[in-house]
Amino acid sequence: MDPYYVQQLAIGLSLGMIYALMAIGFTLIFGVLNVVNFAHGEVYSIGAFAGLLLITAFGPPLLAVFLLVLAVGAATGFGLERLAFRPFRRFSDEASLKSRAMREATLMSSLALSIFTREAMELVFGSEFQTVPLDYLINEPIALGPVTIVTGDIIIFVAAAVMLGGLQYLLTRTATGRAIRAVSNNPLGAKYVGINTNRTIVLTFVIGSMMGALAGIMVGLYYGAIFPAMGFTPAVKAFVAMVMGGLSSIPGAVICALIIGVSESLATTFVSSVWADMVAYSFLLLTLVLFPQGLFGKGRDRV
Amino acid sequence: MSETDTVTDRPASAPKARARARLLQGGILLLLFALLPAVLVWFDRGYFYQLAMLALIFVLLAGSLHLVTGVAGLLHLGHAAFYGVGAYIAGLLAADHGIGFTIGLPLAGLGAAAIAFLVALPTMRLVSIYFAVATLAIGQMLFLVMQNWVAVTKGPNGVILFGGIDLFGLEIGSRLGIYYVVAVVVAVSIWVIHRLTDSYYGNALRSLREDDQCAGAMGLDTVRLKMEAFTIASFFAGIAGALWAYTTGYISPVDFDFFESILILAMVVVGGLGSLPGAILGALLLILLPEVLRDVGDVRNMLVGLVMFLSILFLPKGLFGEVPALALMRRHFDAAWPGAGERRVGWRG
Repeated sequence: MDPYYVQQLAIGLSLGMIYALMAIGFTLIFGVLNVVNFAHGEVYSIGAFAGLLLITAFGPPLLAVFLLVLAVGAATGFGLERLAFRPFRRFSDEASLKSRAMREATLMSSLALSIFTREAMELVFGSEFQTVPLDYLINEPIALGPVTIVTGDIIIFVAAAVMLGGLQYLLTRTATGRAIRAVSNNPLGAKYVGINTNRTIVLTFVIGSMMGALAGIMVGLYYGAIFPAMGFTPAVKAFVAMVMGGLSSIPGAVICALIIGVSESLATTFVSSVWADMVAYSFLLLTLVLFPQGLFGKGRDRV
Repeated sequence: MSETDTVTDRPASAPKARARARLLQGGILLLLFALLPAVLVWFDRGYFYQLAMLALIFVLLAGSLHLVTGVAGLLHLGHAAFYGVGAYIAGLLAADHGIGFTIGLPLAGLGAAAIAFLVALPTMRLVSIYFAVATLAIGQMLFLVMQNWVAVTKGPNGVILFGGIDLFGLEIGSRLGIYYVVAVVVAVSIWVIHRLTDSYYGNALRSLREDDQCAGAMGLDTVRLKMEAFTIASFFAGIAGALWAYTTGYISPVDFDFFESILILAMVVVGGLGSLPGAILGALLLILLPEVLRDVGDVRNMLVGLVMFLSILFLPKGLFGEVPALALMRRHFDAAWPGAGERRVGWRG
């Protein structure tokens, strides 16, 4: 195989990894609440900006930056849940839980909040790219046979693997994870058996947003591009990956994120980079129409 | 004989309510066709004409989205793309083929409706969030086509139209003339949407919103109803797009991006889902408020997000909540069985 194509494949895989980072948190929140969190993209940009502000102010080691970003992500997730989701859980009877209007109210409130946040950040920081100090960029090239990858690829791969593994451990092996799964399965039932559903939901938002914020700063340092609207495209791609993967399957979402990344990279190679976004949207429509269960999903009422 | 008597013999409230509605309609028409033009002529500034026409176009967009999202309850996140399709059809016909307003306007509507119909064929079976996501994808795909199919749409450079509006060979170049054309088209379209939704047909669409499985079980063809609502709404979005192209003389893809869809959705949500006057008020509010606040800075988009968020939180029914859908049914009950309308059939008399 031509090394050029292998290189493109590697680029696609690293792109897919970035989408996967985003998709993990996204899918976790969807799995529990059954609502789409449109503000996940903004959590991602908030993470990136928090990291950038810390770097320009103090210049601490990279690990400290990541830790702070995790804390900021947790706070953002907590606030997001409070503002956009909690007010719509006032009614916990079965009819309200199933009501479409209630579910779509949170969809629209998170959408409205995300627009507000993004525009406020543009007002404060301006819409152009921020300058990232060069020594923090994680793009030192590493030659791997015919293919060249950068340090960021490894960091992002490790982060994605740790997140995925940690989350699987949390969900399947701990009491907290069991509570999260119970709430996701049946919120009312979970409440009846004594699970603190509100706390579980907040916890899910905190975990999901920590991952989103971490993904933001890592990708920001990987590309050296941090700007207020940076979250929109990865959020849409992560969303597509989630739908393709069957909505509540986190490993499925990760695999689909990789598929999307590789397909986009191939589309860039063979067609043109401007049409690469078309790939994800086509995948989304094809999945919705042809595989309503998603590629890795279990049975679920969707049509 | 006696039967016809009972039909005409209605409670006193029905004619009174109708007289009030007549008065309101007359007032709106007077405002639209006499007072507002008078004010525009008085100030005689291009900016005010532009603003008035922009507000009218968004009233039509919000009204058309009201049909899909408010009445039929389908969350549509790609409405601006169909608006863009209409604008591009009108703009390209005028710029490349010299086809003017008379043919361009209906073609823009029909073109948008045709694309909506094709798109609707596979996706209309999806419900709630899956539908929303599918419309988001469709909107983005159409946007990508507008932006990147440079050979036809001229890409990000946009399309420039020359000349005024030609109406059956009559050249309308003055700002006031163009305003009147826009006002007539928007008023007629809003009237059509109103008649469509304040009817048994509209109530069928409302039943989809409340419970589409139940509506299906009662014998309504839910998929077909959804497709019709979606196609008709896209037709009016296309008309609005054509008006936008003719009045500004320049169109580019950024006018039809995802944010524009959200803006239209915010208008419908802020005004009150399911209420046409609400959608119109929401459109006026979200177009005019940022203009009033221009001195504060470029806060339009932020304001849209904030107003939408606060209204979802504090005004779940919107500025001007839905007029009881059952008012119409009650009127017909009145006609058939006198006094039935006195008993409360719906909520909120």
